[in-house]
Amino acid sequence: MNTTPVAGAADFALVAPEIFLLCAACAILLIDLWLPQRLRQVTYLLSLVALVVSAVLVAGLPGERMTAFGGTWISDPVAKLLKLVTCGTVAAVFLYSRDYLLARGLFRGEYFVLGLFATLGIFVMVSSGSLLTMYMGIELLALSQYALVAFDRDSPVAAESAMKYFVLGAIASGALLYGISIIYGVTGTFDLDELAAGLDGSAATNVGLLFGLAFLMAGIAFKFGAVPFHMWVPDVYHGAPTSVTLFLGAAPKLAYFALALRVLAEGLGSAVQAWQDMLIVLAVLSLVVGNLVAVAQTNLKRMLAYSTISNVGFILLGILAGTPDGYRAALFYVVTYVIMAVGSFAMIVALSRRGFEADRIDDFRGLAQKSPWFAWMMLFLMVSTAGVPPFVGFFAKLYVLQAIVDVGFVWLAGVAVLFSVVGAFYYLRIVKVMFFDEPAPGLAVSASGSFRFLLSVNALAVLALGLFSGALLDAINRALP
Amino acid sequence: MLITILFYTFAAVLVGAALGVVLSRNTVHSALFLVLAFFTSAALWLLLEAEFLGIVLVLVYVGAVMVLFLFVVMMLDINVAQLREGLTRYAPLGALVALMVIVQIVYVTWVRRLGLTADMAFPSAEPLRGTQGSNTEALGALLYDDYVLPFQLAAVVLLVAIVAAIVLTMRSRPGLKQQDVAKQVAVRKEDRVRLVKLPAEKGP
Amino acid sequence: MLAEYLPILIFLGVGTGLGLVLIALGFLLGPRRPDAEKLSPYECGFEAFEDSRMKFDVRYYLVAILFILFDLEIAFLFPWAVSLDEIGTFGLVSMLVFLAILVVGFIYEWKKGALEWD
Repeated sequence: MNTTPVAGAADFALVAPEIFLLCAACAILLIDLWLPQRLRQVTYLLSLVALVVSAVLVAGLPGERMTAFGGTWISDPVAKLLKLVTCGTVAAVFLYSRDYLLARGLFRGEYFVLGLFATLGIFVMVSSGSLLTMYMGIELLALSQYALVAFDRDSPVAAESAMKYFVLGAIASGALLYGISIIYGVTGTFDLDELAAGLDGSAATNVGLLFGLAFLMAGIAFKFGAVPFHMWVPDVYHGAPTSVTLFLGAAPKLAYFALALRVLAEGLGSAVQAWQDMLIVLAVLSLVVGNLVAVAQTNLKRMLAYSTISNVGFILLGILAGTPDGYRAALFYVVTYVIMAVGSFAMIVALSRRGFEADRIDDFRGLAQKSPWFAWMMLFLMVSTAGVPPFVGFFAKLYVLQAIVDVGFVWLAGVAVLFSVVGAFYYLRIVKVMFFDEPAPGLAVSASGSFRFLLSVNALAVLALGLFSGALLDAINRALP
Repeated sequence: MLITILFYTFAAVLVGAALGVVLSRNTVHSALFLVLAFFTSAALWLLLEAEFLGIVLVLVYVGAVMVLFLFVVMMLDINVAQLREGLTRYAPLGALVALMVIVQIVYVTWVRRLGLTADMAFPSAEPLRGTQGSNTEALGALLYDDYVLPFQLAAVVLLVAIVAAIVLTMRSRPGLKQQDVAKQVAVRKEDRVRLVKLPAEKGP
Repeated sequence: MLAEYLPILIFLGVGTGLGLVLIALGFLLGPRRPDAEKLSPYECGFEAFEDSRMKFDVRYYLVAILFILFDLEIAFLFPWAVSLDEIGTFGLVSMLVFLAILVVGFIYEWKKGALEWD
């Protein structure tokens, strides 16, 4: 007989942002049903308001680490930071998507509702204290993503990529679940804190645990899109409507980072020897394959997809260092990468118009002549992703390299630098195409005023964060002390 | 003793059925083999005294998911010959991956049998069998109380699935004539019947 | 507990055995003299008009998937009903919230017209 309820008011206070987001998403779903098509904007505005209010509620959470619901929920500064960045990113994605969706007849309420549910999934993953909660978050996010990729039902390419994503994603979920069940079988607990407390140095040699870990790692690598589990990334990024690619390329990365951090660093921290080796393989392959294949792409969405893969390699490098410095560097990297990715994909949206996707590199030819301002913005984003100082992308790479050199992986740092140089080639090719080629016919930035403003802020933030990288670093040091 | 025999019988049928799913040429046969596989796994669960899970497996998977599978198989109108082409090309790679996983599983169970695993600070996972009441009851006591958060998230996942299914497959067909029963019932005489006073015709 | 399932096991055994025996008897005793004409597919005495496979409307799929989702919901209700006196008010409220979330989905599908055939 359970006399004391497992959850009280204090527990619910810690999930207030999630409860609000859920209620808001449900309310918007229902309100949208009764709205006539000409008032569809209301759904869009309500979704933005929901994100803002959630962000305010997140900001009001306590600053120290607390657990709720019998350890299945963790509220700590990292979660707080990641959730705030998520809110900002998703709001930016919604703002960027509006015109794109309107021009293609895709401006339906479900787009925003699914986006909000995906955000809820990210929140859950970021804060989960048990493998079970984490799995529910992963599924919530994944299911919303599958539906968003197929959102343009009349596009056969989108349907095909959604199908690929769904089938491969289901296999990855299966692997993840199998790994979780084996870890439960070996240790008898789902709880990450209990795992951390119960495991000792011998964990790295426990065969059962390693077996579960291998499956878990395959699932994490798939979700991240790390080589050799990357097959879906280019196809899905390419096939999905660009506004959805914008979403896929950005906010979920924060969640997968949290997944890796919580499971590997917090839960299985004492098995660091075991997962470090696996991550080294994943990271090196991602850096090599991502950068080399990206060079050969003519489609910008595919190129950015491979660029994502190589950046994931860098994030994994930070995590595999296995030190607080490494985790901080990876957190810094993922936050800045998300800002750059949102901006880069938004540039494609900016140049697209009804019936035309500006997703080939050739479509950017001569942009500097037509719209010098946006050519410069794109230059900022590309140069920063390439890792050139004083942009923030440089510092992100620098911190990661420092962290792995500190734990003695000098050769890994060498590989990372080498392939970053290869990567710089294809980012700078975009710059060359924009500034030194003759304009493509019909090239125009057809974006609205608010879009232009947001994109400019986004690109300038990359420069500003680079110039004042200390401020962001401070925030991250506070989040992951 | 009987239970051991039963376990191996069901397990053998399960493995056979699973192979049938992958190897049979006809997709409908594959689906039916999958039904058999679900039934035998349900039987295995019953042997573990997890009655609820066994019955849910039959209810949800055999009763609903397999119906869906058959729909999909029929909806797609799959050409069997085309499917085989891809299979033979990738079969060696698939076999290699399968072999690796099998080797791993055998290795792990072997090592565990030998008792070589390092001692962990955990008690081994407690089976629910010892608790009073049925397995279902023990499950309920945990699910709605200790795991209330994942439980509610399951509802959200189902909700997203509903929305996604409708968004992706519902098409409103324009120009379709529909019968609105409520409107029919609510019709009033004044809307439909107009009494017209015609002037009486003059006689010839 | 497993002893209670013995009748079902016997039933399964007899059912499988009987099925196999009948098929085997037919196979062993029945005369089989196949020829090309006998083995060819036919439709009401005519040559087959088309392939026996045909495309199904995607609407069946929508109905089936909605059925699965609510089937799962019912599956969650069962252990709840069994253990309700143990989990008390908290469990009751927890199930109410669960159902409320799904009712939102139900309103959505109803209003969208997913439950109507045309």
